[in-house]
This record gives sequence, C-alpha cells and structure tokens, in this order.
Amino acid sequence: MAINDTTDIDDTTDVGDGSADGDDAGEIESRVGIRYTLKQVRHDTTARIGIYIVGFMTFVAAFAAVDYYLLDYAIAEAVWYNPETDPDRVERLLPPVGMENQFGQGVLEHPLGTDHRGRDLLGRVVYGTRVAMTVGFMATTIGLTGGTLIGAVSGYYGGWIDDVLQRATETVYAIPFLVLVIAFMTAFGRDLRFAMIGVGITAIPVFNRLIRSRVVSIREEDYIEAARAAGVKDRNIILRHVIPNSFAPVLVQATLQVGVSILIVAGLSFLGFGAQPPTPSWGQMLSVSRGYMLPAPTFSVFPGIAILITVIGFNILGDGLQDALDPRINN
Amino acid sequence: MSLLRYTLWRLAQAIPVLIGIVTITFFLANQIPGDPVEIMLGATPAQEQVEAIRARYGLDRPIHVRYLTYLSGVATGDLGLSIYYDRPVLEMILLRLPVTLLLMLSAFAFAIVTAIPLGVISAKRRNEPADHVSRIVSLIGVSTPSFWIGLVLIIVFAFHLGWFPARGLILPWADPADVRGAATRLEVIRQSAHHLFLPMISLGTLQMAQITRIERSSMVDSLQGEYVTLARAYGVPESTIVRKHAFQVAQLPVITIIGLGLSTALGGAVLTETVFEIQGMGRLIITAINNQDYELIMGTTLVFGFVYVIGVIITDVTYSYLDPRVTYGDD
Repeated sequence: MAINDTTDIDDTTDVGDGSADGDDAGEIESRVGIRYTLKQVRHDTTARIGIYIVGFMTFVAAFAAVDYYLLDYAIAEAVWYNPETDPDRVERLLPPVGMENQFGQGVLEHPLGTDHRGRDLLGRVVYGTRVAMTVGFMATTIGLTGGTLIGAVSGYYGGWIDDVLQRATETVYAIPFLVLVIAFMTAFGRDLRFAMIGVGITAIPVFNRLIRSRVVSIREEDYIEAARAAGVKDRNIILRHVIPNSFAPVLVQATLQVGVSILIVAGLSFLGFGAQPPTPSWGQMLSVSRGYMLPAPTFSVFPGIAILITVIGFNILGDGLQDALDPRINN
Repeated sequence: MSLLRYTLWRLAQAIPVLIGIVTITFFLANQIPGDPVEIMLGATPAQEQVEAIRARYGLDRPIHVRYLTYLSGVATGDLGLSIYYDRPVLEMILLRLPVTLLLMLSAFAFAIVTAIPLGVISAKRRNEPADHVSRIVSLIGVSTPSFWIGLVLIIVFAFHLGWFPARGLILPWADPADVRGAATRLEVIRQSAHHLFLPMISLGTLQMAQITRIERSSMVDSLQGEYVTLARAYGVPESTIVRKHAFQVAQLPVITIIGLGLSTALGGAVLTETVFEIQGMGRLIITAINNQDYELIMGTTLVFGFVYVIGVIITDVTYSYLDPRVTYGDD
C-alpha cells in the first residue's frame, strides 16, 4: 500500500490522538487503538475467560492443522487413530469410556467413543476444530474487509454512491442469510471454500452498517477537516483516521461474528453444504449422527458440545471487549 | 403522516428490494451447474423429448427474456412450474408456507413469553444470583446451534422419555379425518401442539436468548432513567415503577431485535424442519436444490425474502406505533 507522505502529520502520535485533540486537555489518554484495547481487556475477567477458551480452541485447531498439512496424520496415527480413514479394527458406535450401549463397552483408547465407521470420535472432534476455526476466521475476514470498504466509502462520500451501495447491501440482507448462502453454494459449489465466501458475504451488511454509521459521525470531526485542509487524500483519511477510529466497535462485532460464522457453517454442513466427508466437521458429524440417535445417542452429543464451547468463547470475549471498550459501562 | 400512510409508504419501499431479491435469486439459480431436464429424463433422453420439455418450461429462450418473463410472472403471482413436482411453484409454496409460519410464530411466542420476564428479573436483580443464572442461560442460548438443541431434545424427550413425538407436524386447522387418532377438532389441536413443542423450543431458544439479553440491558438503562428517579422520589412503589414507568420504554429495542432475529429464525426453520422432518418451506427449498428445480429454488428463496421483508415492515410499524417520538418517513 502506498503511503502518502502528507500522512506524516499523524505518524508521531497514536491513531487515537484525534479524539483527544477534540477535547482541550492534553493529558487524556488515547481511548481507541490496539494498545488501549489490550490494556482494558487484561482487567476484565469475562474477556479473560473468553481469551482462554478462544486461545485453547485456536491451539487445538493449530495442532490439527499442523498434523494435517505438515505431518500427514503422524501425531494422530501415533495415538492409533486416523480421523479421516477407516480404522483396521472396526468398532462402530462405541460409547464414551465408562458407558455401555448395544455396540459394546467404552474403552480408554476411545475416550469419547467411536463413530458409525469406527473412527475415534475425540480425534474427529479435534480435527473438526480446524475446519470450524478456519471457516470462522476466514468468513469474518471476508465480511469485515468487504463491509469496511463499502461502509467507509459509502459513509465518507455520501450522495448517490451511498444510496447505491446501501440499497445493494440492504437487498442482500433481505434474503434470510442461511437461505442466501444455500442458494449461493448451489450455484457455485458445495464445498467449504464457498461456505466461507458465502457466509462472509452475508456478514458484509453487518460491518457495512457499523462502519458507515461511525464514518458519518467522524466525517464531521475537526481533525478530519484539518487533515483535509492539509491536503491529505481521501483514501488516506479513510484508511488512517476513519477506520482506526472505528476500531473498538468493529473488533467487538468481528469477535462475535466469528462465533456466528461457526454456527452458520455448522448448520450448512448439517444440511450437506460445506465440508464433505471424510473431512471431519462438527456440523457434518451431527448430520450423520442423526441416523444413530436411538442406539448411540452420545455420538450426537460431543460435536455439539464442541460447537457450544467454541462459540461461547467468542461470545464471552466479544461481550468482555464491549464492556472493556465502552467507557460508559466502566465499573 | 398517519400510521396508515406510513405503512403504505413502507410497503412501497419494499418493492425495489423485492425486485432486487428476484434478480439475485434468478441469476444465482441460473448459475447452477447441471441440466434439470437431464435429471428429469435420465442421462440419454430422446432429442425431441428434451426440446419439448425445454419449450414447456421456457428453458429454450435467452436469459434476459427469461428474466423479464419471470419478473412479470412474479408481479402477477405466477412463480412458474416446478419440474420436480410437476405442479405450479406457488401451489407448492402455499401448501408448505403455513407450516413454516406456524413454526416461526410459535417459536417467537415462546421466545417472547420466556425472555421478557427473564430479562426484567435480571435487570431488577442486577448482579444477584437470579441475574447470573439468566445471563448464563442466554449466553448458552446464543451459542448453541438450533439443530443440535433439536437433536438433544429428540434424544431426551422423544426417545428416552417418550413424552413428545420425534418427527412431523400437524396443522391445528387440518381436517380431523386426515389426522390419525383424532376424531374432533380439539384432538387435532392437541396433537398439533404436542408435535409443535420440541421444534418450537429448538427454533425459539436462540431468539429467547437474544431477546433476554436486549431486554436486560434495555431495562437496566431504563431503570436508571431520570423519570424513574423522579417516580421514586414521589414514592411510587418499586413494582409499579418496574411495571409501568421503566418497562414500556424498554420495549422498543426489543422490537428491533425481534425484527433482526427474523432472518436468523427463517434460516433456523430450514434446519429445524430438517431435524424434525417437518414438510415446510425449509424442506421444500432443500428438495428443490437437490433436484435442481430452478423455478422452485427461485420461488422458495423469493418467498423467504418476502416473508422477511414483510416481517421487518410489521416490526417497523409496531415500533412507530409504540414510540410517539418517531415521526413517520421524515427522512
């Protein structure tokens, strides 16, 4: 990205200097930007719990990703199962350790039992984390990027550009998003890539609205006026002032959106859109488990718990961030 | 502007959005790979047979002609023919739509009836045990996939306890002669409620959780309002304050969140109908997609969008009816 030399104006200070300049006191600390956010989050218990859960899930996902991409299931096979291929010794639908069902007794090598093809359920759930986290982050990134661009341009320029862009996103928003993604995936492809893109597109209106409303209010601020008067280009004003000043609410929304995306993609996989077998994804595991709810109910339980814990993590983190970043709710 | 004129104005505003939805669905449906005629007639059909079918369903005309024909058809209530069912699309939709609407309305009724007391108690007893319980319940509610709740409910209440049926739905206005084990209208209604209970909770939990969260924060704000302080100073009993002064004002954000929740709920209906094998709009769109039934895919997507837009208009009108500060259509 080419940085215009006129933007040197604010290089010496933090991105948040603008709002502080608006008030007359020089002592006021910056209330926007990454450093401030991190400081606030450290003091917030809820946000910390969220960070622990999200961190743990990211770690599990990273472990599965490394094993999958770099080691070709070396770790997974070392503890004897491969989550994607059928095992040699088929023990279908075993219950978790310590429980019993018509297929046999739970054994320690399969702590959560096995699935309908005898694959270790814990292994599949762990590998499902990779899919869920990837999809959650990618879809959110797509929505965030698209929504930020549209919202910033729309809010900054106003007029007919605003009208056209807003009507277009409203129309996309007017189709219930699961239905929209299903139609989108039917048209372009049923695999995981299109699930990410589709869910990402449905998130665009959310970020668009958020950014646009921030931009409309920031646009009139004195420091934007000053930047404009100093000859800073529109693009740089948007990128270096307007967007960073919308950082806090966007961060909160993005965190929550990762959870929402994971839920939607799980729903899509449940309907047969998204990760295709044998790739383990939580939604698709639940879809298969429907056929075995009576003889092996625990098969339906664990993938769901994995979704629940992950999404709770993002929700708690999002709520915590909101509390930490909203000066009105402090204490 | 009067409320009636505002309503008409909102309806008129919906027309371009609906045209937009038609456009999006039409072009998405035309992106779908594969040939519906082939699916219908098998891999090696006779040439004249293919042409006859193509002509019958209008597939032999260029795309822009088909688009305009479709658009004018929609305007007159003609959504085309379903290739799979060999019946008019509108007829299929009218057959299935009541089922989905019943499911949606009951889910929202369940959500509102449980969430409002929960939210109010939570706000009134802020940071007390009741508040913590309500917050945890709503956190789990927003983090759990609706279809998984459905699976767990089926395992526990249908298979294990046998209290409720695991699949299907009976419309309360169905002919008693068509319903097994029901001789009277009352019996039909009882069976309908019996079937509806689990899907209603499965679909309504997310809405319940979201409404609870908004109700709580809205009531917390409202209880800190100056008018509440004033009422307290006048010695108005606390219960009257909560019930009368704080409650009414706090309901406006709740209406907004109900409107926004419609999109999620319509998508959730697709999942819930899959879990409980209910023959509603959700199953219809999935059947349409699996059989590459273009017209039916477009029709169902369009109706999903239509229901959502109407729902949003209803919430908007309710909002402006309840909030005397809203001036209709000034922008």
